[in-house]
Amino acid sequence: MDRREFLRNSTYCGLALAFGGPLTALRAHAATPLGDQRWEELYRDEFLDTRGDAQGFAFHCSNCQGNCAWKVFAKDGRVTREEQSAAYPQIHPRIPDANPRGCNKGIVHSKEMYQGDRLLHPLKRAGERGEGKWERVSWEEALEDIATRVVDTLTEQGPGELMVYAGTGILSQGRRAGPLRLGSLLGAQRLYPASAVGDMFTGASLAYGLANTGHSLDAWFDADAIFLWAINPIVTRIPDAHYLNEARYNGATIYTISPDYNPSCKFATHWVPIKPGTDAYLAMSLLHVLLRDGHVNDAFVREQTDLPFLVREDSGELLRHRDLRARGKEDVFYCWDEASGKEQPMPGTPGHFKKTLRLGKLRPALGGRYEIKGKEGELIPVTTVFERVRAEAANYPPDETQAITGVHPELVERMARDLARSNKAIINIGFALHKYVSGTMSCWAAALACALTGHAGERGGIDTEHNWSLNGIGPLSSPKPARFASGFFSEWLNGDMQASMDTHYSDEHLKATAGYDSKDVERQVAENRESGKAYYGKPRALLLFADNMFRRNKTEAHHREAVLSNLDIFVDINHRMDSTALWADYVLPAKSHYESWDIRGELGYHRFCNVTIPPEGLKPVGETRSEWAICLGLSEAMAKVARARGIEPIADPDFLVQEGDMAAPVMRDLQTLPDDFTDGGTLKNDEDVVRWLMENVEQIAPWTPEDARKNGFVILNEKAGFTSPLYANRPYHSFERNVYLREPYKTHSGRQQFFVDHPVFKEHGWTVPTAIGPLRPPSFPLAFYTPHTRWGIHSQWRTNEQLLRLQRGEPYLWLNPATAAARDVGEDDRVRVFNDVGEFIARVKLMPAVPPEAVVMDHAWEPHQFEKRIGLNSTVAGMISLLELPDGWGHLTFSPNWDGNMIAHESSVEVEKA
Amino acid sequence: MTARQLGMVIDLNKCIGCQTCTLACKSQWTDRDGREFMYWNHVETRPGKGYPKDWEQAGGGWDGDTLRPGRLPRLHEDYGYPAEFGYEVLFEEGEKPLRPKEEMAWGPNWDEDQGAGEYPNSYFFYLPRLCNHCSNPACQVACPRQAIYKREEDGIVLIDQERCRGYRYCVAACPYKKIYFNPLAGKSEKCIFCYPRLEKGLPQACAYQCVGRARHVAFLDDQEGALHQLVNQWKVALPLHAEYGTQPNVYYVPPLSPPKIGSNGRSLDEPRVPDEYLVQLFGPGVGAALEMLREEMAKKNRGEASELMDLLIAYRHGDMFRLDRPREVV
Ligand code: SF4
Ligand code: SF4
Ligand code: SF4
Repeated sequence: MDRREFLRNSTYCGLALAFGGPLTALRAHAATPLGDQRWEELYRDEFLDTRGDAQGFAFHCSNCQGNCAWKVFAKDGRVTREEQSAAYPQIHPRIPDANPRGCNKGIVHSKEMYQGDRLLHPLKRAGERGEGKWERVSWEEALEDIATRVVDTLTEQGPGELMVYAGTGILSQGRRAGPLRLGSLLGAQRLYPASAVGDMFTGASLAYGLANTGHSLDAWFDADAIFLWAINPIVTRIPDAHYLNEARYNGATIYTISPDYNPSCKFATHWVPIKPGTDAYLAMSLLHVLLRDGHVNDAFVREQTDLPFLVREDSGELLRHRDLRARGKEDVFYCWDEASGKEQPMPGTPGHFKKTLRLGKLRPALGGRYEIKGKEGELIPVTTVFERVRAEAANYPPDETQAITGVHPELVERMARDLARSNKAIINIGFALHKYVSGTMSCWAAALACALTGHAGERGGIDTEHNWSLNGIGPLSSPKPARFASGFFSEWLNGDMQASMDTHYSDEHLKATAGYDSKDVERQVAENRESGKAYYGKPRALLLFADNMFRRNKTEAHHREAVLSNLDIFVDINHRMDSTALWADYVLPAKSHYESWDIRGELGYHRFCNVTIPPEGLKPVGETRSEWAICLGLSEAMAKVARARGIEPIADPDFLVQEGDMAAPVMRDLQTLPDDFTDGGTLKNDEDVVRWLMENVEQIAPWTPEDARKNGFVILNEKAGFTSPLYANRPYHSFERNVYLREPYKTHSGRQQFFVDHPVFKEHGWTVPTAIGPLRPPSFPLAFYTPHTRWGIHSQWRTNEQLLRLQRGEPYLWLNPATAAARDVGEDDRVRVFNDVGEFIARVKLMPAVPPEAVVMDHAWEPHQFEKRIGLNSTVAGMISLLELPDGWGHLTFSPNWDGNMIAHESSVEVEKA
Repeated sequence: MTARQLGMVIDLNKCIGCQTCTLACKSQWTDRDGREFMYWNHVETRPGKGYPKDWEQAGGGWDGDTLRPGRLPRLHEDYGYPAEFGYEVLFEEGEKPLRPKEEMAWGPNWDEDQGAGEYPNSYFFYLPRLCNHCSNPACQVACPRQAIYKREEDGIVLIDQERCRGYRYCVAACPYKKIYFNPLAGKSEKCIFCYPRLEKGLPQACAYQCVGRARHVAFLDDQEGALHQLVNQWKVALPLHAEYGTQPNVYYVPPLSPPKIGSNGRSLDEPRVPDEYLVQLFGPGVGAALEMLREEMAKKNRGEASELMDLLIAYRHGDMFRLDRPREVV
């Protein structure tokens, strides 16, 4: 009998007196024990039991980016417990070490892997999609049928109709390699995950040509000022949060900018309570104060930014070489040189022959208005980007923006002063910021604030999400060119998201708050679709690995139906039955974090590259297989079908390779797939893959898997930094190569860029950082936003029994007590949350920390945890930002550094008692 | 008094409420054999009713030199059943949601992040709690079987599982409600300060695995140890509810908080957690402790040195634990 059943049903009831009621010892007994201490062996034995008979190492390769090394103990082939490896070396005696890293989710994975929602066998749908009727099938049968249908798609419709997408449930280099390699060999579509989940930092992309940039988190420790902007690291960066608290003890002043008094506010010096979605106004007010008070690091901005670049006052565009010379260049820009008293081309732009930011004899003017002779001899009136920026910021004095943001001007002044006078200041931008349309602007303006005050390199600056550079993975993950598609754009079209946008937002309202309306979006979407660089159409076949797209996407059921309606075959490869797997045609059971070899080193919060080495003798859970084995199995099954049908290599003319002096289409050869997949038999399994990576990735040298066996990790070398070297004894700071060596930035201007004259930006008055939004419509009274949860890495571990016991067992939302009282709603009541897009039901938790005008719900509850299985995204309308759609302007060209977001926090709702 | 006493300091300015400690203890000791509902270590949000619910109103402890009457917490209402989930619904037809088989009424973290006060002046902080391994343990003398004892070598309070008959007087007598009745074994159990780990030179699971690096462990008589320094020298670490009279050996560095906000949105020069509230928990020394923390932090802010801050920063995780035995490989 199940012990817990026993506990609950028999013993507890039988022993009526065991719990509850008064029980007082009438007298104090002697304090001397009567027994001896031999019984103590009891717990000693238990301890040894949990240590087991075998030990491995692991990390959890989910989308939390924590990347922590754990010891995994197993007994008789079953995992008993995990404990942090806690062996990371201290890099410097005056910087706290990174131990013990880990969190409440990682520590329950030993339970999760044996939990009731674990997928144990291949399942085939036996009823309608989503109906819940399953038939257990053998791997052989499943693979054969799937292969047949995928081959049909490939041969009848072409490789572009297949999507092989590995979601954020596996973000490591090892386990992710399987699906990437298979998709690449087949020419399948795949989405850019950071964009699909809405984690693009487009404000940073505008400024630096890099979305993910910043510091290792130990860099917090010696900062003078830290601004946590829409980020709640006490909850969402649990393994590194100690650096923040240690920084405070080390003298740092910490500001937390958030509408709710979230746990990070408790640890801050100042909480900056801001009205939801108005961050861009606060950012502009910061710029206002900095510029008003002359807090401008002159040398830095003249050399490192485009602020001295000349702007034509007639066209509102940057002055370019082509304006001055017939057949002049597009990407050479000018400053007004105070030394020579005339315009001069700025070195370091992509079109300039000097590939350096060094100004030499140039003295670029920051301000002023000038006249310059154009190519036809006409006089062109010009001014500088700096003047444009200053004029825009002048519109946002803090005593006026207070009415919008709710932030007191004194606090704004104080923040600006602290930013300006700090030797090292860091502005951390959270993922929540870009979940508003204005996020791009808020982040861009924050980047400008850092530029004005010269915060870059060792002096800090913007931190979005820092990643390391790992070279040499290409031959493993992308042996042939694949269809790399925009995440947000594909989901927008595949999920027919504009429908709910049109329902929820009127055009007048959009125009008034965002400056664009649905027609503008439609037009731009059509234009991007036409140009065809980032979108490959709705797939007919989908092999989905560890991605919960039907949990994540806005409008939930509407998106799901739109995607499913086009799919001939949908296979979900996963370790657990999530809200997406429920709708699959086949579900294939994958191994999870402790069960196959893996390696992860791209996460820039620390310099340690963790390696998973399962404990020896670990018994497989059910019939689970590693992703690599599953992909190999699929390859073999597809090759078998291809051989039986005599399918010749399929030409894929979308991609050309050079063959001699001819360009030939890439060939997709199904018959040789297993051989190609294993690279001639050298990459047979997950361990081979990890060994290959350790041998081939330059930044991992000189370490081997045998080194990783000691503590579960190795240390990345100096080459791991993108924009700075990774010094062995210092925290990592971005942009040292630009600031100290004067290497150009990856932007159109070669500098930190604060002026964009793309036609869409020009038309809407977005050429320099400015404030827009919030977009939430007044048709429903409450803002609805869904911050990251402490209790899951998105939906991973969200249904974990141990973790749910530390919550309330089912979905609940947070409501200010006054807001609740006004609706006659009390603690723990069931409420209906609704708007014109959808509705769902949840419990209420009264939270005085939440602003009265909002409903807040920590995100990523699985829809299947709600009544009728209707989840919280049902009430979130589709929204896409026109700011993120332009493609093909300098560095604003579709790539991992320029893609957009699914906007998540601009919907409004009402709440009533259910 | 035992020959030596091991103690713990938990820094509430570093405890982030992540509950990693709670789960470290759970997987080390309480995920089995009738202990499932127990949390030998848990972290509660204060102000709040805590765990077990309203434990501060449940009596126990000392009234001068007599025991104060105490009450046994109720399983469903005060501890909360360990919820079980019917995962099989995910493999069946229908729209049944994944829910606890029986609705939860309370749990170890039920009032997480709720706290008190009104927007924008609400406040809360985290309070990890475990057995205090008291020097004057009420649980010990309440036991008619004399099954509870303090170990001579480290002062750890243990319940002899062979002598215990499950009378539960200790459960009621502990004013912290840190003893739990195991209905399966018919005996009372509690935090054992991880003595099997300590004996191998491995710190307590809840302390060693604390990712906030909030916990220091040392013998109180170790002059080099953080306990002596924080408790006796700097006086920034205080016992919880010293007035209960059990002389706890777990100490807390009290929480700082950001300033209150005035009706016009202006920052006021007043921490948002009321001093009176902290005095209720940590006694009259709390004002001086907070002042000391602020002064030393201000020194660091001015670029000056501070030994106290360096001690609390704890540059090396390993240095936070000073045991009397070298680490063994287990
Ligand atoms: S692990 Fe540490 S930081 Fe986290 S809740 Fe426990 S004591 Fe606090
Ligand atoms: S905290 Fe309670 S159980 Fe622990 S020693 Fe003190 S009185 Fe006993
Ligand atoms: S010392 Fe050990 S037994 Fe006690 S609460 Fe901590 S982990 Fe649990």
